[in-house]
Amino acid sequence: MTFSMRRIRAIITKDWKDLLKNSYILVSILLPLGFAAMLSRMSTDDSSMLSMPINLALVMTGAFVQASMMAEEKERSTLRVLLLSPASTLEIMIGKSVLSAIITLIVVIGSILISGINIPELFYFSIMILLSLIIFISLGTIIGLISRTVMETSIVGLPILIIFTYGSMLSSMFNSPIIAESISYLPTENFSSALVSLQGSGGFAEIKWNLLNMLLWAIGSVILAKFIYGKRRLDK
Amino acid sequence: MKYQIEVNQLTKAFANKPALNGVSFQIKRGEIFGFLGPSGSGKTTMVKILTAQLLHTSGSVKVFGNDVRNLQNPEQMKRIGILTDNSGLYDRLTIYDNLELFCKLYNVDVKRIEEVLEEVNLLQDKKTAVKQLSKGMKQRVTLARAILHKPELLFLDEPTSALDPTNKQQIHTVLRKLNEAGTTIFLSTHDMQEAEDLCNQVAFLHNGTIVELDTPQSLRVKHGDSTINIRLKNGTSVTVGLDEAGSNAIRDYMNNGELLTIHSNEPTLGDIFIKLTGRALQ
Repeated sequence: MTFSMRRIRAIITKDWKDLLKNSYILVSILLPLGFAAMLSRMSTDDSSMLSMPINLALVMTGAFVQASMMAEEKERSTLRVLLLSPASTLEIMIGKSVLSAIITLIVVIGSILISGINIPELFYFSIMILLSLIIFISLGTIIGLISRTVMETSIVGLPILIIFTYGSMLSSMFNSPIIAESISYLPTENFSSALVSLQGSGGFAEIKWNLLNMLLWAIGSVILAKFIYGKRRLDK
Repeated sequence: MKYQIEVNQLTKAFANKPALNGVSFQIKRGEIFGFLGPSGSGKTTMVKILTAQLLHTSGSVKVFGNDVRNLQNPEQMKRIGILTDNSGLYDRLTIYDNLELFCKLYNVDVKRIEEVLEEVNLLQDKKTAVKQLSKGMKQRVTLARAILHKPELLFLDEPTSALDPTNKQQIHTVLRKLNEAGTTIFLSTHDMQEAEDLCNQVAFLHNGTIVELDTPQSLRVKHGDSTINIRLKNGTSVTVGLDEAGSNAIRDYMNNGELLTIHSNEPTLGDIFIKLTGRALQ
């Protein structure tokens, strides 16, 4: 198996040049920052609202930017050309994910600064962000691969945006124990819950199950993304 | 290794409908092999199978002496170049930026970009965004990308379909030059003139089956009617055979100063294809 940093850098550089000319993606990057500014003006005690700017940044930038970049590569047949080059699947996957991850991280930091969220335990918080990045970029890759066009990513991705970002709101709307139980397993819910615990001077003992949940989501979403990539890379 | 490509009794079916059926051929190193057939005859399917983009249903396919699936190894991919029917270019990026990506992927010096752009007559447009190019210009960019790393084996799927005669001629010159430097070329086309101009060997594909496989010259001789067409100065045309009577007739026309032109009645590849399949190469 080959692995070349030069090839990965080449894909990242190409994506960066392309992104600067892609208004759809630039808007997707700015939207979460706008939401963060809006939410910072609202006063609430709801724990899920505290982490909403971060979750929005992760879902809208992490998942949607990645999804539209992947879907565009597929729609324009450029992914096929990359696959027919010496770049391996791993190099393409990493190259296609690094830029989305960096942008998402910048938007997450921007959202935190704008909304004034208190981050008490930087170490655990960084782990939570890292796991979330893996989860949402993998989900974005999956959405991008199963969508036929960039426009279709919005349709395919919308349920994910609603469920992952507004999970607790949905739970209270339906007032169903099954829905509430299901939503409690979402990584965004566990992220919110862990953030609240950390803000309440909690440590590893209080957030370990949340971290485990997010770790399992991260592993599962990477495996699923790789599986779907393998299925979609060849013609039938 | 004698053959760059060996295909034996290949079949490919889509939902039990055969697209290729019992296809066999070999391509030697340094050959230009023409795969001729009308649209929908299975040419693109064949290119996709030979480049490991599509799995075949049965039979065997070897490229560089190994099973075609070896091409999924990125190191093997360096040895081939592909021009597909779909450009696969990054529209928002310039021609130069598109080629620069592939220089880095193939570990080729970026100086090579100017060389290939010169060859495909696009050097003056290198800073133009791909979305501003005509279809023919995009086709030349994809060819430039396919030959950037001087591949051992080049797959071309309808490489000049969108080009004007001048650019087509220029691309043919580039392909001949590459071939002279040792590149084996698999050319899938429905342009019979292109095949006649470039190919050492051609295969006619009809309904997923190869109906004829030989050199263009042998095919013309095999399917010719062994006659000569003579045009006289008085405007009439006469057809004579390649026999003693024909020879005498030609001599008489020449001695009497009546002869204007003389042509052998060799069929074109297009004529042969129509004769064999009953349909034109469109």
